[in-house]
Amino acid sequence: MSDAAFALTAFFMVAAALWAVTANNVLHAALGLIAAFFATAVLYLGLRAEFLAVAQVLVYIGGVVVFVVFTILLTSRLGDEILRPSLWRVLLGVLFAGAFFALGALMLSRAGDLLEGAGLAPEEYGSLMAVGNKLLGMGEGGLLLPFEVVSVLLLACVIGAIAVARKPEDDE
Amino acid sequence: MTLERCLLLAFALFAIGVYGALTRRHLVGLLISIELMLNAANINLAAFAHFRPGDATGGATFALFTIAVAACEMAAALSIVVAMYRRRRNLDLDKLRSLREPIEAEPGAGKAP
Repeated sequence: MSDAAFALTAFFMVAAALWAVTANNVLHAALGLIAAFFATAVLYLGLRAEFLAVAQVLVYIGGVVVFVVFTILLTSRLGDEILRPSLWRVLLGVLFAGAFFALGALMLSRAGDLLEGAGLAPEEYGSLMAVGNKLLGMGEGGLLLPFEVVSVLLLACVIGAIAVARKPEDDE
Repeated sequence: MTLERCLLLAFALFAIGVYGALTRRHLVGLLISIELMLNAANINLAAFAHFRPGDATGGATFALFTIAVAACEMAAALSIVVAMYRRRRNLDLDKLRSLREPIEAEPGAGKAP
């Protein structure tokens, strides 16, 4: 990925993220989230992690954000009051976020040899074949067991979500 | 594109998420901010996998686990949001003080429809 393309992606991502955290209407915030996730997928493509980019679009944009939008539509009515944060909270948020970013940049400027040396990853490291072999491999470095554990976690989560969100039986 | 710039971008995204988590008053808005922070962590994983390959495929695969766990978390959290809205008719974080059933005299408690 060229520097110009990276700069464009980064700018788009930050702008979308800012929109997602400041929009008054939560539905607009969800749209900003979609844009930020999409820009992230483009960045993954630039980093040659192709499978990660596809998973990002499928799971985040196709799954999580759709879920968020459904929840917003289920829980908001026309004429709901707009919830604006008070001024001191905005100041506090800017302070903490700025402090975090400054601290991270400071750490990065002192990282030294972490940022130098070593070549790029091989061209095919994030391809479907490589990721599939890694994810479902049983030998050295294979991740089959964590993969199965995550699938159990997903199942437990879905059952839990149904149990929590279903209507109580004594309701008419 | 260098590792340093990718990490700075991830820091910026995480900082925006922190800002959102601290200032949002809508419960779903808070969850959106948390998703942004998790996304920033994933960018770090992918950037290190690409620029500092020890086990590059492992790095890219690990981000997949983060994505799966984030989806789980979102499913659980949003079901709680729906259940809370059904009971209280309100998602203002300043007025939500506990997860249990509202007591009738409690200020801000919603009426059942």
